[in-house]
Amino acid sequence: MNELLLMCLIAGRRAAIPAIQVQSVIEIGEITPIPGVPAFIRGLTALRSQALTVIDCSIALGFEGQAEIADQRAAVVDVDGHLYALMVDAAYDVGEARSEPMDVPGGFGPGWQAAARGMVETDGGPTLLIDVQTIVAGSIAEAA
Amino acid sequence: MDDLLADFVAETSEMLEASGGEIVAWEADPSDRARLDTIFRFVHTVKGNCGFFDFPRLEKLSHAAEDALAECRAGRREPDSTLVSAVLAIVDRISEMTDAIGAGEEFPAGGDDALIAALQSDETPGVVGEAPSIAPEQPAVGGVDKDAAPKAARNAVQRTIRLPTDLLDEVMKGVSDMVLARNDLARRLREAGEQPTIDGPFDRLSTILADVRTSITRMRMQRLEHLFTSFPRLVRDLSTELGKQVMVDLEGGEVELDREMVEMVRDPLTHIIRNAIDHGLEGPGERIKTGKREIGLLKFAARQSGNQITLAITDDGRGIDTDRLAAKAVAAGIYSQSEIDRMSERRKLYLIFEPGLSTAEKVSSVSGRGVGMDVVRSNIERVGGSIDVTSKPGEGTSFYLKLPLTLSIIAALTVGSGGQRYAIPRSYVEEIVFGSSDHVDFAEAGERRLVTFRGQRVPCLSLGEILGIEANEHVDWESRTLVLIRLATDDVFALAVDRVYDHEDVVVKPIAPAIMETRLYAGTTLLDDGKPMMLIDLPSIAQLRGLVTEMRSSSRVDEEEKVEDRKTTPIMLFTGLDGRQRAARLELVRRIDTISRDAIDIEGSRAQAVIDGAIFSLVGHEYGDLPEEKCRLLRLSDGECEIAYAVREVLDAANMEGEIVPSTVDPAIEGVTLIGNQPVPVIDGHTLFASHRAPRRVDHPMSCRLPADSDWARTILGPLVEAAGYRVSTEDSEEADVEIRLAESTAEISCPARRVIHLRPEPEVAVEDTSDSIYRYDREALLAALKQFRMGKTA
Repeated sequence: MNELLLMCLIAGRRAAIPAIQVQSVIEIGEITPIPGVPAFIRGLTALRSQALTVIDCSIALGFEGQAEIADQRAAVVDVDGHLYALMVDAAYDVGEARSEPMDVPGGFGPGWQAAARGMVETDGGPTLLIDVQTIVAGSIAEAA
Repeated sequence: MDDLLADFVAETSEMLEASGGEIVAWEADPSDRARLDTIFRFVHTVKGNCGFFDFPRLEKLSHAAEDALAECRAGRREPDSTLVSAVLAIVDRISEMTDAIGAGEEFPAGGDDALIAALQSDETPGVVGEAPSIAPEQPAVGGVDKDAAPKAARNAVQRTIRLPTDLLDEVMKGVSDMVLARNDLARRLREAGEQPTIDGPFDRLSTILADVRTSITRMRMQRLEHLFTSFPRLVRDLSTELGKQVMVDLEGGEVELDREMVEMVRDPLTHIIRNAIDHGLEGPGERIKTGKREIGLLKFAARQSGNQITLAITDDGRGIDTDRLAAKAVAAGIYSQSEIDRMSERRKLYLIFEPGLSTAEKVSSVSGRGVGMDVVRSNIERVGGSIDVTSKPGEGTSFYLKLPLTLSIIAALTVGSGGQRYAIPRSYVEEIVFGSSDHVDFAEAGERRLVTFRGQRVPCLSLGEILGIEANEHVDWESRTLVLIRLATDDVFALAVDRVYDHEDVVVKPIAPAIMETRLYAGTTLLDDGKPMMLIDLPSIAQLRGLVTEMRSSSRVDEEEKVEDRKTTPIMLFTGLDGRQRAARLELVRRIDTISRDAIDIEGSRAQAVIDGAIFSLVGHEYGDLPEEKCRLLRLSDGECEIAYAVREVLDAANMEGEIVPSTVDPAIEGVTLIGNQPVPVIDGHTLFASHRAPRRVDHPMSCRLPADSDWARTILGPLVEAAGYRVSTEDSEEADVEIRLAESTAEISCPARRVIHLRPEPEVAVEDTSDSIYRYDREALLAALKQFRMGKTA
């Protein structure tokens, strides 16, 4: 209860990433594309001496990605020792969850249903809690 | 061994430090079981280690203390203050001795028995009476050692510390960050133009940073010894289990390797050892029957060459039975019989790396459990290494492992494709050629691009096409640069890239699993400007594209011929003082030295160089002027004597693949060979050593006695006799092989030599002289006589 969440906007919808998993929020500078990888991986970007794998959350959820990515915000998360930058439309404040994650009858739509741990109430209204592991694994985009 | 000893000293002092508090606490309360246990463990460990290192005194002391403490632990004896002080005295003594060992000093003998006697339980009154007398004795010993001990203690503390690897990694990461920040700063400084006040300190900063980086890298290094130490035990266990006798020979334990790398190769090596003992080495009976020593030999040899470690594991067993291997491959359906028939021996040998093959007749508990050499190979390749095998039936098998020094730093070639840079591990790169070059012909077979280079037809792939950024039909092959890749399996293909940038040592970081899934990349690395760059996974790409099997079926014949043709001779390329490239056979080159110009002495036709206090004949100086200050020398050796060859620059080692075209005009040149299409003269070792070899030093020179009373004999004759290979003696009493007598000398010699040379003062033979004398300045005759005697003896 009262889990801290990073509020953000993904594919035009309110979403939240558990703040405990987020190392920092960065502005994406230059991205080195990696040919041959699934579309949701936009490439690599460097944060100090580390290379971050840039994940486009919109595409990972099965939506259209944005063409323009310069100066976009991204949340840096560590999954199994690998660092990822999760690109979001916008990143807001850190806020508290006002409820446990819960399901909504009928689901959230195919992509969201797979990637979200559920819906939580926040001060800004209902928000989908993103499951970081699922997003970076990239299985949703293929399934959707 | 020194390393282990240092470990022992460090460990002991560490334990001493840690148990120091315990000892004090135990003294306050002798009945405290926990403290007792700690001290017991300490003396127990010391005892164990001492036995291993053969320190009988330490072992005796710790053994006695352990016995006494064991009594207490078993409840058979109550620890009292007498016992406590006796044990403490022993602990102190152990500490002093360890310090002495650490400082490499001899510890004063004696006093041990008194300390041990003090441990005896107080039920024997006589000993108790003695006990107090120990105490005053103790300071006396300490007094002797007072000067040395504190110094040694400090040394031991400084010599080693233990650090968590995490901390090292963190420091290393920090340094990497610093390097990136420096590079960024360097770029900005360049843009800002020249600023002398800043550039100087900045250059210094760069140098320091480079040094720090090297040191940090070295921190992560571990001697191979640490890996080797576990082998004798493993071999012993296995050989006992299999009823074989095996001797282990370890060489090159001082070679250092990244700690992680050591761990990564442990399993593959263990597997190779198992195979060698189980399949390779025969049982004692069979060995005797084939005329071998009863005990099999398993030899490990490690060498460092540049950024690579070569580890050879050799057994002198029965060798790999390629026919059986081939039969198995056919039986397992991996190859057809006709395919096998076309294979060369070497190719058949490589079958050992095929998945699903095992030559073991029966599955023993040791090997042949389906985990085969294929797993070993893939494990070695995963860490960026390669494995090779040679085998001679009846003589043995050798596995050669090539490993990068570290897991994280690899030598890479940076190439461009589609406007982006990629790194290719340099170990795979055989050669780089331009598509526009005359030697390169492109051909098509169906959809497959082929390139013919040096009579070899190899498949050609475009990196852009592999990565999916361009289609094959749009590739302008002639404008590309071709990187010829030779995989560890000896499969060759050409990779077309837009351009080749540079050789770089790159720090490889792992990549996210989702990127790994593409099987195109092996890792990522950061460029100097902080941009990420992908490392291409060549073996995986070759597999994806079916290149590994494809080549085996289609152009095998081509390749096999090549394998057999490649009887290469390693040579060393250098530039002579005249600036021209020459080469020397690598076997001739013993080492490369740099000496100062002062150490070279040239006078007329005689030229000599002084290296490490020894005089060598110098050659190569006739080609041009010697450099002003430092001079590079190749030290050539014919196995007996050495010659220094002055060069301007040592270029590289290369393989002489083609033939040598003999040269008859210049005797100093053996012939001319082609290295990378450049003619390079190879120097003739025979001519060099024939004309410049120093007279071989005779181990036991014959002695020649000269008259002691003649200055002429001592100053003028002496050197001549020495140059002829004799030891000069003037002692009358000493027995000499040859003696030179002057006609005018009348002194009687007590102990005549076996042979005598008479010298006469005048060229003409005097009438009264009946002996076969030689004129004292007839150099030729004198030398001939000396030589004749020497030959007479050695013959």
